[in-house]
Order: sequence, then C-alpha cells, then structure tokens
Amino acid sequence: MFLNFKNKIVESPFSILLSVMGLLTLGLLTLYSITVTQGQVPPNAFSKQLIFLMPAALSMVAMQITSKRLIHKYIFVVYGIIIIAVLLPFAGQKIAGTYRWINLGLPFGLQPSEIAKWVIVITMARYLSDHTLQMKNFGSNIVPLIIVLIPTFIVLRQPDLGTALVIMTPVIPMLFWVGSRPYHLFLIVAPLFSILAAFNVLVFSFWAGIMAIVIFFARPKLWHAIGLYFGNIFLGLIFPFMWNTLRPYQQNRILTLLNPELDPLGAGYQIIQSKTALGSGGLMGKGWGQGTQTHLKFLPVQESDFIVSVIGEELGFLALLIMLVLFFWLIIKMVRLALNASDRFSGLIIIGIATTFLAHVFVNCAMTSGMIPVKGLPLPFVSYGGSFLLSSFMMIGLVMNFGREELD
Amino acid sequence: MLKSPNTVSKAKFWIIIAFVVAAHSVLAYRFFQLQILEYELYSKRAESNRIRAMSIPAPRGLILDRHGEIIVDNYPTYILFGIGVEIRDKEKNFAVISRTTGIDTSILKKNYKNYYRNRFLPTILAKDLTISQLSRLEEAKNDLSGIIYKQYPERIYNPKIRASHVLGYLKEIDHDMIQKKVSLGDYEFGDLIGWTGLEQEYEPTLRGEKGVTYYQVDAYGREAGKLEGQKDILPHLGKNIVTTLDISVQQMLETEFKGKSGVGIVSHPETGGILAYVSAPDYKPDLFTGLISNADWKTVIADSNRPLLNRVSNGTYPPGSIFKMVVAAELLEKDLFSPQEEVFCSGSYEFYDRTFGCWNEYGHGKTDLEQAIVQSCDVYFYHMIQKVKLNDLAAMAKQFGFGLETHLDLPAEMKGRMPNRQFMNKLYGRWGWAQGALLNMAIGQGEILVTPLQMVAYTNLLATRGNAPKLHLVQPHDSNIKKPNIRPSTWRLIQKYMRNIVTHPKGTGRRSDPKIPGLKIFGKTGTSENPHGEPHAWYIAYGEKDGEMISVVIMIENGGSGGEVAAPFARKVFNQYFGKSPPKLAKS
Repeated sequence: MFLNFKNKIVESPFSILLSVMGLLTLGLLTLYSITVTQGQVPPNAFSKQLIFLMPAALSMVAMQITSKRLIHKYIFVVYGIIIIAVLLPFAGQKIAGTYRWINLGLPFGLQPSEIAKWVIVITMARYLSDHTLQMKNFGSNIVPLIIVLIPTFIVLRQPDLGTALVIMTPVIPMLFWVGSRPYHLFLIVAPLFSILAAFNVLVFSFWAGIMAIVIFFARPKLWHAIGLYFGNIFLGLIFPFMWNTLRPYQQNRILTLLNPELDPLGAGYQIIQSKTALGSGGLMGKGWGQGTQTHLKFLPVQESDFIVSVIGEELGFLALLIMLVLFFWLIIKMVRLALNASDRFSGLIIIGIATTFLAHVFVNCAMTSGMIPVKGLPLPFVSYGGSFLLSSFMMIGLVMNFGREELD
Repeated sequence: MLKSPNTVSKAKFWIIIAFVVAAHSVLAYRFFQLQILEYELYSKRAESNRIRAMSIPAPRGLILDRHGEIIVDNYPTYILFGIGVEIRDKEKNFAVISRTTGIDTSILKKNYKNYYRNRFLPTILAKDLTISQLSRLEEAKNDLSGIIYKQYPERIYNPKIRASHVLGYLKEIDHDMIQKKVSLGDYEFGDLIGWTGLEQEYEPTLRGEKGVTYYQVDAYGREAGKLEGQKDILPHLGKNIVTTLDISVQQMLETEFKGKSGVGIVSHPETGGILAYVSAPDYKPDLFTGLISNADWKTVIADSNRPLLNRVSNGTYPPGSIFKMVVAAELLEKDLFSPQEEVFCSGSYEFYDRTFGCWNEYGHGKTDLEQAIVQSCDVYFYHMIQKVKLNDLAAMAKQFGFGLETHLDLPAEMKGRMPNRQFMNKLYGRWGWAQGALLNMAIGQGEILVTPLQMVAYTNLLATRGNAPKLHLVQPHDSNIKKPNIRPSTWRLIQKYMRNIVTHPKGTGRRSDPKIPGLKIFGKTGTSENPHGEPHAWYIAYGEKDGEMISVVIMIENGGSGGEVAAPFARKVFNQYFGKSPPKLAKS
C-alpha cells in the first residue's frame, strides 16, 4: 500500500513543479517586499502565505495519490456537494459585499468556489470520457454546458465575475479536445456574440455575415440553418429592447459589474493607479522594496489581485517577462501531458486544468494592465490567498496524478 | 471504466498551443507597451506623488411652471472634504478647521465617519460653507493637509409659493439607506435622491450624471494640473421639467389657505393639467435642504395638524352631497324613475325604525330631481336610492373614478373606498348590514371615502361629459382614458342642475359666482359629516368663459357648510383667473 503510494509519487511528472517553484518564489519575494520591508510584523500576508504552503503541499500530495478510479467513480457526488457548498455562503452573512466565503469559525474563511474550479473540470471529463458518447451529435455538448453553467450562475450571483469567467472557460477547450465539431462549438458561443454585437449596427451586420458564411459551409439541414440564423439575429435584435426595459439603476448595476471603469471613483481609480505603478517600473524596475506607488499604498489588494503591478513596479518588465515564461512553460507542459495521457478521462482533466490556469493568468494580467475591465481575480502561485493557493496546488496534484503513464 | 482511448490529433494539440502562445504574447506586448513604450508618461505620473479623483457635480434639472417661471432652482454651496491618505494629522486638521470656521470638531468627525468610502477619495466634512468661512480657511491653509473644498449645487425654491407636497424634497444617501435599500444603483454616500413628490417621480429626468476629474497633486497637497493621459469624464446635466402648475394661481390659493386645514386644487378639465395644488397646512420646501435643524424637524413632526400629510392624494374623506350626481346618473341611466317625479321633504325621513334627517330640518317641501340637486335635498335621495342596487351604484361610481387611482404623476396615492355588496358583507357579515346603509351612501356618507384628487377627476369628467384626460403635473402615469358609458341626455341634465346650483336664488353654490360677464359656473356643494367634529366643507365646480375652462375642488377640514365656507374659495379662484382681462394663456 505505502509502496504503491511511493511509486505513484516517484513516477509523477515532476517537471511541472519547477515552474511552480519559480512562480511561488516570485510571489513570496513580492509579498516580503510589501510586508516585511514595510515593517509589517507577522502575522502578515507573507508569513500567512508561508504557513498556507504546508496544507497546500499536503493536499497536492493527497491529490497525487488518490486513486483515479475512485475519483472517476465518485465525482458526480462530489459535484453535488460542491454545488451545495457554493450555495452555502448565501445563507450566511455578506463578507466584503459578497457571498463568497463560508465562515466555519476558523481564523480564515473558506471559499468553496475555488475548489469548484477543478471539481467542475473533472465532472465534465467524467461525462465526456464515456466511450458510448457520440461527439458528432450536437446533443452531447449540452450536458457539459449544464454542468458548467449551474455553478457559473451561482458564482455570478455572489457576485464574483472573475471566478465565473474562469469556471466557464474550460468547457470549450475540453469539448474541442474530445472531438466536438467546431461548427457546434461555434453554435454554442454564437448567442453570446449576437448579444454583444447587438449594441453596434456595423458590428452586428459584420457578425450576421460571419454567421451566414459559417452556417452555409457547415451545411446543416435547411430549416435547421434558417432557425439558427434567424434565432441569433432575433436574439440580437430583442436584446437591446429588453435592455431598455430595465430601469437605469439596474442597467448601471450590470454595467458596473462588467465594466468597473464606470465607477471611476472606485475601481476605475484602482486601474489608473495600477497602470501608473506598472508603467513607472520600466525595464528593470525601481528595485526590490523600492516601489513608491506600492509603498504609498495607492493600490488596494496589492498582495492579491494587483500583485502584478507591484512586481512590475519594483522588478520591472524583465521580471514580468520571466513570470510569463514560467506560466507559459507550465501550461505547455500540461498540454503535452494531456496529449500523451493514457486515457481520455485523464487527458480531459489535464486540458481543463491547463485552461483554468491560462484563464487565471490572462484575466489577472489583462485586468492589472487595464486591458479588460474585470475586477478581483488572483494570480496562481503568486498572489496571496489561502483557498486559492490550496486549490492551485490541488490542481497541480491532479495533473501529476493523471499525467502519470501507468493505469491503476 | 477508464478505457476510453485518448485519441487526440496533433493538429488539435497545436491549435491549443497556438492559443496559449497568443494569450501570453498579448500580455507580454501589453506589459512592453506600458513599461517600455509609455514609460515616460507613467514615471512622470508616479513622480507627481498623488492622483486625486474628484467628482464633478451635475446640477439637477429645474422644475418650471407652465409659463416657464422657475419653481425650483439650484444655487451654489461649498462643501469641505478631507482626503484620508493626504491628511497628516487628523486631530490637528480638524482643530484648525473648527477654529477658523466655527464648526464643531465632533460634527467633522461624525461626517468623516459617515461619508468615508476609502482613503483615496474625498470625504465630506462639512456642507453649506459661507464665503467668509472659506476665506478664513484659505488663510490657515499652511496648517492643513488633505483638506479641500468644492462647489456643489443645492436646491432653492421660488419664494412666492411653497407647493411642498407637489415638489417633494431631496434626501441624502447615507449608510442607513444603503443598508435598508439594496437597490440604490449607482448612488453613493452623500448623493441626493428625490425622496417625495415630483423630485422622486421625475428623479431619472431631473438627476444628472456626475463626472470625474483627475488631478495631480504635489507634495504639499496642491493641485498641480490635470492628470496627463487620462481624460475627464464630463458630467451630464439633469433635464428640466415643465409642470402644468401656474405660480400665480398656486400663490393665491396658498394665501387663502393660510391657517386652515384643507385642500384646494385647480385644473384644466380639457387637458388634465393641474394649475394649483394646495394641501394645507404644509411645510417650507427648503425644510429638508442643507442642514436641517433638529428643532425645525421636531416642530413639523409634532404638529397635530400634520403638515407632512399630503391631503390631496393621501387624505380620505366622505364626499357628502357632491356624490349625488353619481346617484342621479344611475337613476337616469337605468330609467328607474321620472326626473319630474316629486318627493315631499319634511326635513326628515322615516325608514323602518330609523329616522334619517335632511340637512334642512325645516324641509324642502315638494322636490323633483332638479330641486333635490339644486337645494341638495337629502330626503329625495333617501327615497330614490331604494330603487338602486348597491352593486349598480358602485359600478356607476367606479366609472367616475371612485375607489380608483387617478394616475396623477406623483408617488403614493390612496384609492379611497367605494363599497359594494361583497365589501359590506366582508366588513359587517352577511346579515350585519341593511338597506339603511344604502340611504347613507345616497348622500355620500357612510362607508364611502374619497381623496380630494379623485374629486378633481370626477369634476373634470362632469365638466367634459366624460372626455377628460387623466390628471397630471407633467404627464400622467397612465394616459388611457376610460370614458364613462353615459347617455348625452343624462350629461345634459346633470350639467343643467349643476348650473342651477350656482344661479338659482336658493342654490347652495351661489356664493361661488364672482358675477363676471360671460363666465358660466357649474358647481356642487357638500357638507360631509365625520367623527372628528364639524363637517368637512366641500365645493366642486367648473367655470367656462370664451371657450376656456377650469375646474376647482375645495375641501375645508371641519369647516362647516360647503356652500358657506368652501364655495367662496372657488369664487376667488374664478375671480382671479377670469376676472383680469385678458384671460391667461390656458392651452398648454
């Protein structure tokens, strides 16, 4: 038994841990700079993050040695539990304006939506790896969509747009990976584009043209094609109308959720400050512990969501480039492991986790640099945050488990 | 179990890899752009120590009367702010402010706590600063850090009128409201929101949209120009609303109601526009602007005459005899009798074991429908109502708007009460009430309750033979007109009777006629008994001259006889409106 576990660990693809170590070091260095060099005495973000590393490493090993069969067998049950867990915070009190945390009387809150990220990936993988499933049929795409949309909507209500985005992301790559027809994937994302494009006549006409071409070349049945095309057009036309029936304050609430710049005194101000910190770092940065913007505390949550602007200011463009290379390497490694995985279930899990990480990196960096207007998403292994660190290491553990050659 | 093979083509692998490469390249380029290409801009920004985000206020739209005269305007006041990160020593700064302006430090502290949002945003410390306070602050500037002041617009009211129940007032958003009302949308602490009246009703129109400006601030906390590379967000001014009110009519009526409790409304039956809207007693409209003193507030709250109650739309009263036209319409429409049929009024009426009195205890003698309405004989209606079914009466009354909302564009309106069988059964039990209740209703007493506003709609329907558009101050909530289903002959008779009420020597409404050549007045008095003392005096009327028409509804709480007390108010309105030549612009 013990030997079996030992073998499992030894045979795991350890190379991905290298980049994780690199990122972790970068994160700890930065946390040290904004806490200890600022004279913050422990417990501070740095010391807490160090302490969180212990349970994180343990849960990584736990994920690494758990039987794949067991995971395969019980994942639907776990999915049910995690949905309830994500709903639980709504029964409690709002913390920092959201229903994100469960308070168990521990000195820290738990964020079930963090665990949900990988539970959802495995649940989809479980469904999609059924060998009787005919991916050529459009219907096979429906269940994964439902699996992903239920928690997405709950998380959106918390409200936590960033996490909802990350939860949603893996579904398309996983469907693509398992052999869903690109035309079907197009149909899944088309309604979203129809709604978004509807706000500009020119963009909408362009989009209508693209849709027509794609549907034409996919050669579906005629009534099918007409229904799809006009269904989307109709959706696009009706949406601005529905939008206008909302009261102005309701519109504003949705817009501020999607675009915090609309709240220029709050989140908009943060983005201006974040860009200023980043840009003033230049190529080499102002030096470790020397960031003026950082140390005047212009940036809120600089230890978690805006940690990239601290790195950018103090260590410069080169450090950020190295950071991106580390992430790139980590994700590419995972995709390779997915390609070489021994079975479909494993491959899907790894690809799902890889895209989850990719979404995290992209959304966080794009947000910090003012490219996309989303608020509140940490950077894996770099940002401070217990639940997220735990969840990230669990995902690494899962990748090492399912990336192993043998089949237990 | 795990036997599905992992058959993934190389092409798929490369497509995924391409996505990963693309995502990372975009990020790398973005960092390159900010940190290398735009380095100059941002490093200069970083040197300037601080960036200050300041909201630019958007003045609210004005409220105008029908001739474009301003009723509610804005005037500039100064607000003092403190910025958390920039204040070096809070105690010292507050002490300096207190010394120079005379504002107590406890107020400053309280406000700072109340309005605080975060360390970077200006937090309100004090409002309504005078120029002399500001200049003394300016002198002490070297002792202050992170303390700034900005101009803000505040409401100011036309001194000629109060109209406080129509205009409503603004309230400041505070922590309490945020906690109670979740759906505040994009409002923040310290923002003003229309809380009652037109200010609430037309909040989305009147309210502008704040802008934001970004300043660079030097090490001494002085604003050192605009933030380079960051555009200001310009404010959008609120839009004005033009009401149907007429300041001169409103002013006259308010003067007449000074010291009284009651209601006076003047409107145009043909458009539904309201010219004057008085609910007395009222309060000064600027009671709620700026720093309302606790003493002022307490006197208003404690006043037993309830000045905060909007009697026009939220006071409910028995209508008394002004209801009789509804009964007459029901009798005429259903051909239940002949209008010439006479009833002998001896001053009281025996109904089984009960005696119902006429207001004139000496009796009106032989009366037909015309005389019964002109002299407001109750006995005639006690007799005739017995031909009518309660539910039919209720249905007829509904056609005239009894028990229904008028859809006037002001928030919160009461519906009054027009009972039918089901209602009476529910209230008293199936056997708990008898025909006698109907006798009371025949003269507008008993269970019937109306708001004065409903009586305006009723009067306008009578004036236009059912063609009156919905009442409004700007535009009605619901402009669908439901015309009463009544024959022209019935309208004609009722209008004839209402005219006689004013012209007949014994007509109860004769005191409402200012005797202006060409002016024809139609009216009906009401004296409604109530448990609170003297009867309420009602008078509803409309007057027509040279194709121009206005309607007047007067109600004096516990005023006594409608003909003696309320009708003279209407005369003053008619006199002012039609007396001066040429008549005012009426069509709106």
